Amino acid sequence: MTTVDPVTVEAAGDAVSAASGDVAERSDFGSYLLSKVAAAIVSFFVTLVIGFTIFSIMPSDPVAALTRGRPTSPRQLAALRRQLGVDKPVWVRFVDFLHRTFTLDLGYSYQYHATVTSLIASRIGPTLLLTGSSTLISIVLGIWLGVRSGWRHGSRLDRLSSGVSLTLWSVPTFWLGLILLVAFSVGFGPIPSLFPAGGMTSAGVGGGVIGQVLDVSRHLVLPCLTLVLVVFAQYVTIMRSSIIDELGNPYLLTARAKGLRDDDVRRKHAVPNALLPTVTVIFLQIGGLVGGAITVETVYSWPGLGYLTFNALRIPDLQLLEGTFIIFSASIIVMNLFADILYRFLDPRVRAQ
Amino acid sequence: MRRQQAGSVMRHGRLRRAGAALLGLGVVAVSALVGGGAPAGAASNPILKIASDTELTTFNPFTSYYDGELNIIAVIYPSLTVGDSHNVPQPYLAKSWSHSPDNKTWTFPLRTGLKWTDGKPITAQDVTWTYNLVMHNDAAASANGSLVTNFASVTAPNASTVVIKTKTPQGNIPYVSLPVVPQHVWASRVKNIAKELNTEMPVVGYGPWRLTAFKTDQFATMKPNKDFMNTGMFKGAPKYSELISYYFKSSDASVAALRTGALDQLTGMTPTEFKALAKVGGIKTYRTAPVGWTAVEVNPGARTKGGQKFGTANPALADQRLRAAIAYSFNRPLLVSRILDGLGDPGASYIPTSYPEWAWKPSAGQAITYNPTKANQILDQAGYRKGSNGVRIDPKTNKPLNLRLGIHSDDDQDAQISQYLVQWLKAIGIHVTIQSLSFDALNKNLVKGDWDMLMDGWSTGADPTYLLSIQTCGALPPSKTQSGSTDAFYCNKSYDKLFAAQLSTSDLKARAANIRAMQSILYTANIDIILYYKDQISGLRTNSTSGYLTGSPDSNGVYPLQNHFVNWSQAAPVDAKSSNHTATYIGVIVAVVVVVALVAAILLRRRSTAAERE
Amino acid sequence: MTAVTAPVRVAAPPRTEALRRFVRAYVRMPTGIAGLVVLVAFVALALGAPLFISQDDLNVIKATGASLAPPTAHYPLGTDQAGRSVLLLVIWGTRASLAIGVIATALTMVVGSAIGLVAGHYGGIISRALMHVTDWFIALPGLPLAISLAAVLGQGPTSITIAIAATSWTGTARLVRAQTLAVEARPFVERARALGAGNLQIVSRHVLPNVMPLILVSSTLTVAGAILSETTLTFLGLGDPTNVSWGSMLNQAFNQGAVTGGAWWYLLPPGVAIVIVVLGFTLTGRAVEAILNPRMR
Repeated sequence: MTTVDPVTVEAAGDAVSAASGDVAERSDFGSYLLSKVAAAIVSFFVTLVIGFTIFSIMPSDPVAALTRGRPTSPRQLAALRRQLGVDKPVWVRFVDFLHRTFTLDLGYSYQYHATVTSLIASRIGPTLLLTGSSTLISIVLGIWLGVRSGWRHGSRLDRLSSGVSLTLWSVPTFWLGLILLVAFSVGFGPIPSLFPAGGMTSAGVGGGVIGQVLDVSRHLVLPCLTLVLVVFAQYVTIMRSSIIDELGNPYLLTARAKGLRDDDVRRKHAVPNALLPTVTVIFLQIGGLVGGAITVETVYSWPGLGYLTFNALRIPDLQLLEGTFIIFSASIIVMNLFADILYRFLDPRVRAQ
Repeated sequence: MRRQQAGSVMRHGRLRRAGAALLGLGVVAVSALVGGGAPAGAASNPILKIASDTELTTFNPFTSYYDGELNIIAVIYPSLTVGDSHNVPQPYLAKSWSHSPDNKTWTFPLRTGLKWTDGKPITAQDVTWTYNLVMHNDAAASANGSLVTNFASVTAPNASTVVIKTKTPQGNIPYVSLPVVPQHVWASRVKNIAKELNTEMPVVGYGPWRLTAFKTDQFATMKPNKDFMNTGMFKGAPKYSELISYYFKSSDASVAALRTGALDQLTGMTPTEFKALAKVGGIKTYRTAPVGWTAVEVNPGARTKGGQKFGTANPALADQRLRAAIAYSFNRPLLVSRILDGLGDPGASYIPTSYPEWAWKPSAGQAITYNPTKANQILDQAGYRKGSNGVRIDPKTNKPLNLRLGIHSDDDQDAQISQYLVQWLKAIGIHVTIQSLSFDALNKNLVKGDWDMLMDGWSTGADPTYLLSIQTCGALPPSKTQSGSTDAFYCNKSYDKLFAAQLSTSDLKARAANIRAMQSILYTANIDIILYYKDQISGLRTNSTSGYLTGSPDSNGVYPLQNHFVNWSQAAPVDAKSSNHTATYIGVIVAVVVVVALVAAILLRRRSTAAERE
Repeated sequence: MTAVTAPVRVAAPPRTEALRRFVRAYVRMPTGIAGLVVLVAFVALALGAPLFISQDDLNVIKATGASLAPPTAHYPLGTDQAGRSVLLLVIWGTRASLAIGVIATALTMVVGSAIGLVAGHYGGIISRALMHVTDWFIALPGLPLAISLAAVLGQGPTSITIAIAATSWTGTARLVRAQTLAVEARPFVERARALGAGNLQIVSRHVLPNVMPLILVSSTLTVAGAILSETTLTFLGLGDPTNVSWGSMLNQAFNQGAVTGGAWWYLLPPGVAIVIVVLGFTLTGRAVEAILNPRMR
């Protein structure tokens, strides 16, 4: 599900342009920002309600997870239930839940003997490293290829890149990860084992900071490559259609009429304008990518939030799942907000007003 | 090499800053992640690198119950006795021991002159304080409380003697050994002991190793204890400069680490991985005797201690003949060859085969082997005639024999096994519905008695008391809403009598005889139909490690049960040239190229955006 | 979404003529034909599987092959851990994967269309409220939401289906609302309203038939996404582990160490099958979309 349904991508793009259109009339940036932040807060609150509802459907008993496979006295069980508030009415638990969320107390994971907040804090770094590096590469690659195929759409390069993009969109992320793992980590046929099979660091690596950075980079290659392959295809598609949309515009004709070279028309006129919707949509997607990395992190046992979610799923450790769900939602909402602001910032028409 | 236009400088400068900030963030993230990170070490300082069996989160001996943590706790905290390479208890903190004729008073004179790693002396007071905490504090009892339920008192008549008094005669006291902690460190932690992780480094303890560094979920680093005793089975400080227990999140990753030399020893992998590893040079793959079994539990009807019945088990399962027929329908050797790839043994006795002192085998007449014909005969004779769709009908209720089989959704082997069971039971006219449940949900059903059959597994240490206790009437729940430690609501008076007898004797032979008789009862009852014992499968880098394994393999190549305490104390480095790292270097080079390309791409991009945006 | 006036034209009086035009346009698109061929082939395979695969071929206690053996003449794609033919398992897996994909899509369409129709038809507060809800759901993280739902509802195909529908109805709802607005603005709806037709009548007689083609187009793309989601969730262990599907095969291969064992014959086929089917649905959907909405070309 890192692969986003094309319909959704379009819809999301529309959402942004529609929203931005609405507020374009208001020239005051402050009030624009305020309204966006307010909407984000409402949205986050709704997310909390939805999250709470989901995790309250099943009258779960986290105590059972705690007492996994070992003798516990009834007295210990009762004390734990009281401590966890399992026996309180729903609304009390909801208020309690809100209070805890806003004080960053997301509960306790008995599986890990640690607070959910501390677990999440320790896993955010690896996830940002993985999604950040793969997004950077995907954006560069996607925009570059998208511009070239859009500019000469119908050319051989365009058809090739469209074909590749479409195929990669159809590949399940986790399976691509497994195949890359067999090919480049286990080693297959003439290919030796080039990269570690998982994790982020090796046991007992020396060599100071440089050695450790290299070690992490070595572990990063395959998971990053997997994400790039799946994600960049979507950026190609978006950038390509943005460029095609720009093609018919009269200003390009004017530019050409001025006698500018084709390359210059593309670079100085078409790309900057087409970049705008692309960048916005990309930001909308980055938020989702953090949650979408679950399968890649699982296949490569990358110690990030996604792998934490997968491990929580096996018990299931509901408090931990709830915690990661909130973080994933928050990342999307923050990125959407960022996209809105960025749009406002980049769009010359909006700024001119 | 285009020059920037003046007009674009402002905006462009901002973009560049943003880019630099992103890049900086990446670098910061990388260094932050590794900064606290991997321990350094060079080839000249031999390090023993072991894969941890489980995640590492706490070293609190009062609450920890995961193997990976327990293995470490065993080498950094002392105990009165410790198992040797045959898992027979030997004196550790105690010099020796003796007991009263009624087996209710046990006296342990202690060694003198031993010191905690912070230099303070280890006294009898530390021992009694630790034992009493486990006996009287619910939170401190969560890991080992079940071991001391029969203890009346633990006292120190003088600074070098500990006396344990039990409520009823108990013969296995030398087997019952708790990790002892320094009172001067732990006294202040009692208040919050449930949440104490004991991860403040270095940890004050005593043992062949000292715990010096730790990163949650990743590794624990130990250094040899120079002051460790050199007497009897103890050989002073270990011969490595460090021991690192490393947790791998996937078995693919740990197998790969062993293959490339990033690990010296690894226990636990799939049979497929075991076979792949066997082909790699410099690595010895080995099997050790199993300490646990995998079974199908059958619910004969849930009941409380008082005899009140509850739950939704199919009433037909109370019929011992039906349970026997079920047992006859299972082809256990096929499971061993298909699911374990031959790395295990078909199930029979309740106590796993790795403990020869308690081992029991069914006699030829008693043995239940794969025999669907016989199973069908038993059911025909018992009046379970077949209905029109091939499913038998329970003569008492006139309902078809539909049974539920609960499996753990997070256990791949459960899912595999269940597909075989369904087909075998179908062949004798029993229809089975598989319920794939989370651990949480399965446990809940178990307690409520809402199940017919469950996939289950238990393992045991050298003393099987707890494993035997879960089949006693005393383990039944006190009421419908409470849970007991019972496994399958089994209750049999003659079994209970034997249980009490084996517990009270200190005569090993008499105890073994009782335990064998108990296993015979359980075998015939078929409430835990033991499918197989799975060998522990491991890999060891013999080109870097020697003296790790103890004992010699049997005719099937299976080593006797290993003891981590002994393995980790006695292993020694092999002075060998480092293995071929070409592949690793290629990997490093590719990684460098990728990073450089990434940076270059960003820089180029930045330059070209500069040109585009005029 | 502004340019989706084409379906209206399609729905205008002589429908057979429109259909003929549509087919003529479709056969001129090679990618569309390729997609359709793939789909027909896989559907035929799924429906015909019981004709040449017996229950004994899938029965673990009757399997005769060696465990995880590489391809041979008798087992063209090797065997799994239980000694069954991977080829037959992949073919059989088509059934489960297609079924869940289609059912989840149907559910998505029903929920999404209902919300879209109501929002588009009634307008006002109802519309705004429903669109707000849709926006909130769009902002929810798809995979984590699906995982959480499936974890809470318990493992199995039912919860996976629900989880997929719950995370993918938003796109349909937006699409249908926009199209409903476009259709209702057309004169013949005005006319019907003036003649006293009720809400139900307008929606069922005039709006729905005109929105339907669009719903169907968007559903082919949704099936593609749903199959991907299904395999992903099953791979993560949320499916029925005893059921033969592409996701569960990959889950077992991963758990049983096929990666380290280098058992490519167990890992490759299910994934390739997924890619081909998803590609088939996507190509078909895009071709239809391109015909109905020329701007997309």
